[in-house]
Amino acid sequence: MKLTFRIWIMLIIMALSILAISPDFGKGVVIKSVEKNSTEFNVGMRTGMIIESINGAEITTVDDYSTMMGRLFASNFSEKKVSVNTNQGEFIILASSPLNITIGNKPRTNLKLGLDLQGGARALVEPEIEISSEQMDDLIAVTNNRLNVFGISDVSIRGVTDLSGKNFMLIEIAGATPADIRDLVAKQGKFEAKIGNETVFTGGTDDIADVCRFDATCAGIRSCGQQSDGSSICQFSFVVYLSQEAAQRHADITSKLKIDTTTPGRYLEKKLDLLVDGVITDSLLISEGLKGQVTTEISVQGSGVGLTQEEAFKDATASMNKLQTIMITGSLPYKLNIVKLDNISPNLGERFIKYLFLAGILSFVGVSAVVYSRYRNIKYTLGMILTVFAEVLIILGAAAFIGWNLDLASIAGILIVIGTGINQQIIIVDESSSKDEHSGSGIKERLKRAGFIIMGAYFTSLASLLPLYWAGAGLLRGFAFTSILGVTIGFLITRPAFSDMLQKMQP
Amino acid sequence: MHINKMAIENTFNKYHKAGLFLMLGLLIATLVYLYAFYQENGDIIRRDISLTGGTSVTVYHPADVSELKTFLERDFEEVSIRETSDLRTGEQISVIIEVKESPEEIIPALEEFFSITLDESNSSIEFTGSTLGAEFYKQLRFAVILAFILMSGVVFVLFKNLIPSLAVILAAFANMAMTVAVVNLLGISVSGAGILAFLMLIDYSIDSNILLTTRVLKKREGTLNQRIYGAFKTGITMLVAAILGAIISLFLVSGFSEVLKQIFTIVLIGLCLDIFNTWVANVSMIKWYADRKGMQ
Repeated sequence: MKLTFRIWIMLIIMALSILAISPDFGKGVVIKSVEKNSTEFNVGMRTGMIIESINGAEITTVDDYSTMMGRLFASNFSEKKVSVNTNQGEFIILASSPLNITIGNKPRTNLKLGLDLQGGARALVEPEIEISSEQMDDLIAVTNNRLNVFGISDVSIRGVTDLSGKNFMLIEIAGATPADIRDLVAKQGKFEAKIGNETVFTGGTDDIADVCRFDATCAGIRSCGQQSDGSSICQFSFVVYLSQEAAQRHADITSKLKIDTTTPGRYLEKKLDLLVDGVITDSLLISEGLKGQVTTEISVQGSGVGLTQEEAFKDATASMNKLQTIMITGSLPYKLNIVKLDNISPNLGERFIKYLFLAGILSFVGVSAVVYSRYRNIKYTLGMILTVFAEVLIILGAAAFIGWNLDLASIAGILIVIGTGINQQIIIVDESSSKDEHSGSGIKERLKRAGFIIMGAYFTSLASLLPLYWAGAGLLRGFAFTSILGVTIGFLITRPAFSDMLQKMQP
Repeated sequence: MHINKMAIENTFNKYHKAGLFLMLGLLIATLVYLYAFYQENGDIIRRDISLTGGTSVTVYHPADVSELKTFLERDFEEVSIRETSDLRTGEQISVIIEVKESPEEIIPALEEFFSITLDESNSSIEFTGSTLGAEFYKQLRFAVILAFILMSGVVFVLFKNLIPSLAVILAAFANMAMTVAVVNLLGISVSGAGILAFLMLIDYSIDSNILLTTRVLKKREGTLNQRIYGAFKTGITMLVAAILGAIISLFLVSGFSEVLKQIFTIVLIGLCLDIFNTWVANVSMIKWYADRKGMQ
């Protein structure tokens, strides 16, 4: 059978789609994020590298990696040499705790799954005041910086506008997320250190020259112990380097203070209060020796609690990290409201996708059975299945090509494409095979009439789907995108090819 | 066989107008019901928390649903609890709890009941602020109305003929309204995804109406009844295929995704009603029109 131009086009685009999706059945784990300025970052490990082995042992799954980390660091925290072999070279790290990276199984294709399928967090944030698009860009930059400093890099932040013209910031973080994401994105992040009512310094680069983070000599968990109620507590401390002006301010304020003689130890009468968004998070005693001193180095302390020591350790580390983050990134000039916050468990993912595939295949089988029992023609049935398959493949190819995240709404969109696709092919088959003896019209004319119905259906689809693209702050964009893309592919590529196939099949 | 066909055709010729009146009767009943529903609930649908604001927590941990409900109702005013289970094994997959309060209020209560710490490995939490929920709903409703208007415009342009176009639009409208009524009668709380399903429905149901109208008005072969019967055969094949696909998918994914379950449920209801609205009501209108125009 000689293939027509339109069938060739469909086949070529199908091939390109497979190329875009590029299925890969190899094993390995991929680095999803590397904490900035960490040792791992400094030796050159980056997001996207594929880990092949650690200390000579092959790593093929996330479980392998966890087992390896557990074996290395579970029993003692002494410094060990960890040699990580990746597809882009070997990295050697001296570490005393599990590596500061997050990892995931290597993706099998270029298709990206949305949050509701692979798990993650999504926040829709609304500034309390109306802001311009430049301010929105600033907000996005600050938030991005904050999340990066905190060690989250697999994140997408964008400004979205809804139908009524309101501006939102949409943050999507794939995979594992910290539970305190709310604090990181919604906090105005106004950090102040006060003595009495006087501000000594605030967060951001004006007052703070540097914050010690990954250097164990000036930042870390200092001690852990048990409290009277049996729970555990861990203390952290880290050094903040103040600018000259802030240090001078500190000297001026402390010089006016008296020495407190009522408590043991030699401290000043007032404490240094650390406030985040107006709430005191900690109060530090100021030793007598600091009175009136221009000091650029201040040690900030705090604690974390938990039922077990491990929990307390984690809590303290997280608190320290958060405090460091807002000290470095400074505050926003307005308050933010989280209007939507979803934390989706990755727990469902794989089993769900399996069932989705099964649903797809069984639906194909069911629909084929209906089509076959109607026409008793295996060629028509196969042609239809092939065409719908081509449509789905091309949608997925396009999604992979532009890096679209396939979420549940996108899948609903693909389903509607399959549904309308089958419907329209049934129309084409019925039109082309109407065996009316009075009929003066040839197959070409009949296909033209089918074309009219298809065109009508296409433009009504387009009309009904387009408004959705903007509704609801873009949360349903996945549906609008895949369905519009799908019906357009159907209209321009696959339906014409199917018509040609039918002409070839006619006796 | 031939006599039978004749008899059917005669009956059809005699009684086809009844289809229109039947539909109008049903449509009026539907609208009265929706009006009463509106009076009682302040809206024509029941909205779930994604459209009113609140928190939905999915916990992947076994629980006795009625015990959990009693426990939560002590502190929370409106609690809705559902469970999902694996179709093949019947094993409980998750429990879904919906309240109007924020996560900060419901999470501690749930942690107390389940005696576990809820984190991303064992739960999903979705929170929607009430203003956003209301705004979201307003916009989706607007999108549906706009979609319907745009779709109507396209239909007019396609057929350039008032009565047949109005017939198509009326059938599509009746289909939507009746689907909304059935959804309400089944006690379904509609989510954002559910509204998507109504949009999909506009799309699905309009295809068969366009097919019918095109065949009747633009095709020259065969008698009017033959053309209607031909369109009916095609349309029913389309509907049966779509309904079968929707049933299979609903059956398989309902345990996993509330979103897809609702979409399939609504589409399925709409497709079944479309059999009536297209192949009884719209057929009745278009035949009436074609008869009056003296079409053969």
